[in-house]
Amino acid sequence: MATCLCEAFFDDVAIATVQVLEYLKCEVAFPDGQTCCGQPAFNAGDWASSRRVVRHCLKVFAGEEPVVVPSGSCAAMIFHGALLEFEEEKDLEEVRQLAGRTWEVADFIVNGLGVDEWPGKFPASVAFHRSCHSRGTDSGPATLRLLESIEGLDLRPFGEAEQCCGFGGTFSVTFPSISAAMGKLKLEHALKENPDCLISGDMGCLLHLGGLAEKGGTPVPTRHVIQVLRDALRNGGLIS
Amino acid sequence: MSADREEILRRVKDAVGAIEHPADYPDWPDGLAVCDKRPLDDRWAAFCERLTAFHGMPLEKPEELAEYLKTFRYTHGYCDPELAGVLAPVLGPEFTLEETFERSRLDDYRFGITRARGAIAETGTLIVTDGQTSSRLGALAPWVHVACLRSDDIFRDTAEAAAALGDDPNVIWITGPSKTADVEGILIEGVHGPGVQVCLLLP
Amino acid sequence: MKVQPMDQFSAELADEVRDAVYDGSASGYDKREEALFGDYPDPDLLRRTAGNIKQHTLEHLDTYLLQAEAKMRENGVQVHWAGDGDAGCEAVLRIMRDNGATRLVKSKSMATEEIHLTEFLEKHGIESLETDLGEFIVQIDKDHPSHIVKPIIHKNRGGIARSFEREGLGAYNDQPEVITRRAREYLRRKYLEAPVGLTGGNFLVAESGRLVLVTNEGNSRFCLAATDIHIAVVGIEKLLPRDRDLSLFLGLLGRSATGQQLTVYTEFISGPKAAKQPDGPKQMHVILLDNRRTEVLGTKCREILRCIRCGACLNVCPVYRQASGHAYRSVYPGPVGAVLSPLLAGNRFPELADLPKASSLCGACNEVCPVNIPIPDLLLRLRDRAKQEGVKSPGTPPLAAWSRLASQPTLWRAVMAGGKVMNHLPLEMLPVRALKDWQSARKLPKWRGGDFRRWIKKHKEAESARGGEA
Repeated sequence: MATCLCEAFFDDVAIATVQVLEYLKCEVAFPDGQTCCGQPAFNAGDWASSRRVVRHCLKVFAGEEPVVVPSGSCAAMIFHGALLEFEEEKDLEEVRQLAGRTWEVADFIVNGLGVDEWPGKFPASVAFHRSCHSRGTDSGPATLRLLESIEGLDLRPFGEAEQCCGFGGTFSVTFPSISAAMGKLKLEHALKENPDCLISGDMGCLLHLGGLAEKGGTPVPTRHVIQVLRDALRNGGLIS
Repeated sequence: MSADREEILRRVKDAVGAIEHPADYPDWPDGLAVCDKRPLDDRWAAFCERLTAFHGMPLEKPEELAEYLKTFRYTHGYCDPELAGVLAPVLGPEFTLEETFERSRLDDYRFGITRARGAIAETGTLIVTDGQTSSRLGALAPWVHVACLRSDDIFRDTAEAAAALGDDPNVIWITGPSKTADVEGILIEGVHGPGVQVCLLLP
Repeated sequence: MKVQPMDQFSAELADEVRDAVYDGSASGYDKREEALFGDYPDPDLLRRTAGNIKQHTLEHLDTYLLQAEAKMRENGVQVHWAGDGDAGCEAVLRIMRDNGATRLVKSKSMATEEIHLTEFLEKHGIESLETDLGEFIVQIDKDHPSHIVKPIIHKNRGGIARSFEREGLGAYNDQPEVITRRAREYLRRKYLEAPVGLTGGNFLVAESGRLVLVTNEGNSRFCLAATDIHIAVVGIEKLLPRDRDLSLFLGLLGRSATGQQLTVYTEFISGPKAAKQPDGPKQMHVILLDNRRTEVLGTKCREILRCIRCGACLNVCPVYRQASGHAYRSVYPGPVGAVLSPLLAGNRFPELADLPKASSLCGACNEVCPVNIPIPDLLLRLRDRAKQEGVKSPGTPPLAAWSRLASQPTLWRAVMAGGKVMNHLPLEMLPVRALKDWQSARKLPKWRGGDFRRWIKKHKEAESARGGEA
């Protein structure tokens, strides 16, 4: 699942996902009918609309194959959110079936494929923003494990790491002032140690943080974790 | 009001009755909440370490108490009648120990000496009860509270102490002096209760 | 563009207040982390266990309530039941009148805030004095608490010193120590003058009928040492099955609320004072309060009733930190309040239906909750309820249209590819108002819709070409 954000703005993240998975000898299919996971309507409380989109996902991603998503937030929509909104629905079982095989990509690499060290190199200092949808899941520890094992990668921890970046989808639209204040605080903490780039497992966070930084006149390079993994392979000459 | 009782119980029954699979009581080991699982050979030593960490003051001899109180000229206080007989001779003639607490003269008492039912080594906590405390006010209103403890009465941890709450109508666990951080998060000791919490070991 | 009321409130909040709230809650979070992770290898196991014990208790509440009532009566406690807030207030008033009492001293209690007991009693000629330092300051300022355990987190020492001066509690002095001593001197007289001490209850144990109170200042203990009658107002969700559960819950409460292993005074009260004890209440009354808790128990939001009022979710919440407790317009602020307040509002639900929206759903509240309440899930359920009840929500984009688009792949692809037109439009001409507003603080990257689909198509073609060669 490429996610709508990657489709609209961040095609290279989707490309990197394919390249990394193929490097790991996975056969990657991209079901052409895919759109979005249904999260915007789910979060806004319009569950009827959201279910419509999730049902579309059920059709597009039918089968037994794992569904791998380069976004903790979209993955969590399928393996957690959808279960809530389908509680009283007849097709709950189908949703459960899809939920059971939906993975955030770093979690899939480490806990699905059993990879726990990443080859190649990435000679740069990075601030890793733990995106909120990885809370209580295995994605956060999985990502850290991979990042820490990359040669040359200098991870720069920062303060108030548990705090949200303030994006929250429509939250950033209906709570513009609180959202921007949260984002600025996150940038302040994350950039304190002067990292070369800011990385995360969710492009939502990076869209928001990158956008704030650029508007504030101090743009900061942002990368998705999967791009870092792909770039490490490239730098190490392991893929072209 | 009895109508309220019946109504509330009916509403609870209805709500609970509609739950398909009511949650079971989970299995959990007694020691789950115990943070210090080391074997404790010397409970008094462990208790002292924790009490001190929480700004309490452990003392092993009544003479030390006398010395401390004299430093601040705290010579007038309340004392449990049963303890007064033992302590008065050791503290010396300059101390006045009143054996009843007169609420109208609340501020005359600079210290209050009462017995502790026990203590908890894990948390540096003193346990006082109605049965063992000769005056609730005497143990609370003066600036210095001296709780007299026998070393056999120290529980290992909160789990052990919770299991021994017994049937006293008023059991209180005291962990350090009375305190607040309401004003700008700044810690101030001695709000309504004692500003100094002493534990005196009884022979 | 209309924004949500809480965002407006936050935008207009004085910097001084925001800073006080931010610093106070951030330090509360740090202390909690230190205490829990310093003491336990796996604090999550404790949180989950405590959550399961509470859930079990709630789902067998009928049994436990009857058990607690019987045990309390056996212990000599007079048990009263109050279906709603008015009944709770009336019950207190009746006990006061039966005993010819006209004043009471009060220890901090969220349940009494919830039913507005003090205002009610004052209307009926009864003086009700808050004795917790923070609550006392709130009372003399005719203000409202803005945090569950730090009621005056929004105030600074200067304001408090001015209030004390105004109330005749001494010339202006803003030293926290002086402020505290002055309150000590003033309030200790008041305890002695009052015939009744009123408290809430942190826990009520069914098997023993034991009421558990925790305070740091010792004010509730003073209430119960100086007065003749003890009245406790206790929500029916405060039950725990056994005394054994207390070690777990007390350790979690102290650490989660203030980073303490145990709160200074933990009182286990199971009846009037012992016969030979000279001080303390000869009567003990417990008022079991429903006030819509049974209604909540009947919904899928019943997990919120596990709450032990530690305030950890407030401290960690980025929205609370920016907006302050008063932004929640109700007795319970922060994430727990955003769930509990609309639920307890009854038919006033629509008035507070915006509170569950005031969250980026980041989940930090769930992560710190000592009873593991899935707060984000509950916020979502309430958003769904608001939508179903047709409550208007300012600023929310039209998602029904979007969902139709997202279930028609052909149209979706066309819109994705067509979105590129935005790259060439000046900001003012953006077709969607929300997007324009969003861009006032952030810059949107270039639209690249369709690019990935072209890449994957080529990639797959190349792959099958390679496959053909092999």
